[in-house]
Amino acid sequence: MASINPPPAPFENQAAWNEAYERLVHFLNTFALGDSAQVSRLALHLLDQARQLHRNDTSRNPTVLIMEQAQKLVSSWLATNLVEADRSPSEILARGYVALLLSRMFLVAPASFLASPLPEDLRQSLRQTLLITGPNLNISSMTPRHFDYGPMLGLARQTWHRFDLKSTLLALLFWAGVYGVLYACFSNFL
Amino acid sequence: MSAPFSESMAGARRTVFVGASIFLTASGFALMVNSYTGQKMFGWDYVVLTLFPLLFSQIALGFILALFGFFDWLRGGDPFHLMRQSWRERENSIPLAATAIVVPVFNEEVARVSQAIANMWRSLEKTGEIDHFDFYVCSDSNNADHWIEEECAWMSLCQKLNAFGKIFYRKRRHAINGKSGNVADFCRRWGKRYRYMIVLDADSVMSGTTLVRLVRAMEANPSVGILQTQPLMVLGNSLFRRVLQFSSHVYGGIFSRGCSMAQMSSGSYWGHNAIIRVAPFIEHCDLPILPVPNPGKRHVLSHDTVEAALMRRAGYEVWIAYDEPGSYEEGPPNLSDMLKRDRRWCAGNLQHFWFLFARHIEMGSRLQIWIGLMAYLCSPLWLAFLIAGSFGAYDRIRFLTLSADPEDLGAATSSHAMALFIITLVLLFTPRLLGLLTVLPQARQYGGFFRLLISVILENVLSILLAPVLMIFHTLFVLQTVLGLQIKWTTQNRADTGLTFTHCLVLYGWLSILGVLAQGLAFFYLDKACLWLLPIFIGWILAPLLAWVTSWSPLGMMLKSRGLFVTPEESQTPQELMGLEENDLPSSTSSPLWIQALLCPYVQAVHLSMVRQRSSSSDDAPSSSLADLRERLIREGPQALNPREKLRLLWDAETVFWLHQQLWTLPARKLHPSWLRGQADCAQNPLLLNYLIPQERGSA
Repeated sequence: MASINPPPAPFENQAAWNEAYERLVHFLNTFALGDSAQVSRLALHLLDQARQLHRNDTSRNPTVLIMEQAQKLVSSWLATNLVEADRSPSEILARGYVALLLSRMFLVAPASFLASPLPEDLRQSLRQTLLITGPNLNISSMTPRHFDYGPMLGLARQTWHRFDLKSTLLALLFWAGVYGVLYACFSNFL
Repeated sequence: MSAPFSESMAGARRTVFVGASIFLTASGFALMVNSYTGQKMFGWDYVVLTLFPLLFSQIALGFILALFGFFDWLRGGDPFHLMRQSWRERENSIPLAATAIVVPVFNEEVARVSQAIANMWRSLEKTGEIDHFDFYVCSDSNNADHWIEEECAWMSLCQKLNAFGKIFYRKRRHAINGKSGNVADFCRRWGKRYRYMIVLDADSVMSGTTLVRLVRAMEANPSVGILQTQPLMVLGNSLFRRVLQFSSHVYGGIFSRGCSMAQMSSGSYWGHNAIIRVAPFIEHCDLPILPVPNPGKRHVLSHDTVEAALMRRAGYEVWIAYDEPGSYEEGPPNLSDMLKRDRRWCAGNLQHFWFLFARHIEMGSRLQIWIGLMAYLCSPLWLAFLIAGSFGAYDRIRFLTLSADPEDLGAATSSHAMALFIITLVLLFTPRLLGLLTVLPQARQYGGFFRLLISVILENVLSILLAPVLMIFHTLFVLQTVLGLQIKWTTQNRADTGLTFTHCLVLYGWLSILGVLAQGLAFFYLDKACLWLLPIFIGWILAPLLAWVTSWSPLGMMLKSRGLFVTPEESQTPQELMGLEENDLPSSTSSPLWIQALLCPYVQAVHLSMVRQRSSSSDDAPSSSLADLRERLIREGPQALNPREKLRLLWDAETVFWLHQQLWTLPARKLHPSWLRGQADCAQNPLLLNYLIPQERGSA
């Protein structure tokens, strides 16, 4: 796994491979392995694999190639060790990452991360993790009971339901005008 | 120690309570009318006389409540109270029943909520009764960062406390009907599993002993539907919060004692820190639809009072356990936050008007509704009273100036007015004095007698200055609710970090202008009579300064170090409150938290485990709008999506998985630069460091 990489072929774009390597290291770091040397070993191993593949198809972008390899490796490793191949890839990954998190394997045995075959005790500890997200539903019917609002409801229905702000304001304006005119006409007599 | 409770006794006490309030109000009104004897009455005087009994009745009500509370304190507690009945003698032998502790959250400070749950869990563990309790964090958060952080905090809690299968997290996809809808959703899904639920607020904490005692009280008294504790305000840093928590300690107890004594089995429910019998709650307490024309306003906003009324209607008792220790909450950190809360409460309380005259509602519940209604309606009435009083005074001064007989002012009756003024002051300040007397035996826990006294005096000064500000805002809230108007509200700080002066100027500056103008007009037209209005104008003029200064945490802490506004929980911090301060999530990256659900494998795994997994394979094509969102997110970065779009993406498990693959696989030129920064920061993301792999990672 930790074999020495062959020197880069002249046709390879060094910048593209640097970018790919950087991405891969960031990705592997997200697993919070307790041993940074293990991250380097895995990165070199995957880099090696990706370069081999790139020689067969030089049109492929190194970043895409190396990250596909990395994700495939993680996915298949989790599927193998969790024996849940019948699930969808997203379910396997979710279940697997949670198992990793709960088992704390990345801290206690970082060297075993992506190792094949996985020691039996670690394999069992991965499988035994169980995430209970919620209890089984026990559905009840909770609906409002009939409620009698009493006399206010009748009163409201006769007023607010028919209340129209615009027409009320218009009426007020009209009558204010009428009284204004009357006042102007008769104020001298008052 | 105990005496059997009967409903007739509760009725008799209510009669005394209401009767005494009416008597005081009538006496005050008689004095008011007499003060006008022999004077010419102006139009404004009739307005004043109409409003006076309503307003005076509220002062009288508060006074009588305080008297009841003080009497209860003097005799060492109510022997007829539920918590003093014979079941207490065999309390420890009462078996517990399955109880859910429901914590509804909405964009809250996640670390704080999480720590509170951990504290309650540990406290329950100490009682040895943890097996009977399950925790439910029911989230309505509509902020993607909060949602993802809540999930990680839940995972962390379960790991830390070994509480998988005991602490649950539920995020509602559609947050219908706010908190009451959230609690109802819990009841519908899991209510049948539990005999009781203890409803908390996001800032609530309760001790294990209290939680266990509440369950035992309910088990021993099958007729009780709701048992409300009296939560004490704690953990204040800002001056505003410290003053509030101090006053709630000094005066709150006497009022809740009084409430409990007057109301007995028709007590209040405040929506949190209370235990509820689940089956009758499910059967009887789903909130009715309000009969208003606008479909958007048919939901009851302040659900607690209505739920208590419905529980009473169903024949169950509602009690306040007013002297049970170990029940805590936090107050608003500043004036702006309090007003924001008040606006919500005001709208809710005004809705309760519909229930005031509803059929089959208990008299005690009607009384609660009336008190709640008047708490906010009083503000516009006081304002109208002051305006009418000022205009009345102006009319009188003008009449006096023009009158041939200046004696018409009615000097002979001024003794009635003075008597009324003194009585009003007595009614207003006696409850505070009685509250002070009740805490005097524990004066040392409040910083000593003199510091307690100085704190009370300062609290009164601050209350007097803030009261006119609250009056104006509450009036606006009432008008807003009644007319359906919108009040523009600037962004405010949520934590104890203080308000900016600009914020205070924008929000309260107009009050200063109003104060100066009103003072000028009053001085011009009312002459010396304007001095009566001075406390109100000073409150208005100083409003921005008051809001700003009281929001300062350093000032609050400085006063605390001098022994002012100190409360017993600060002298001796209970275990349940340990570690609840300074729970902000330290951010080691500049990236938003929610993108970790797309980048970080562990955060993503927790999220995918929580959201419903689609049964279809990842090969299924997403809807075109979802595909657009995915592409936009990759090309334009996380900031390109609005809050709604973020939530939509996060709800779709396959999209989250697909984006995780794409964001790590695509070459840099196809990704927005923020994703490259996100990848580099991912291993140091705060969700990982603070929740999923805390401490141990650093040591590794």
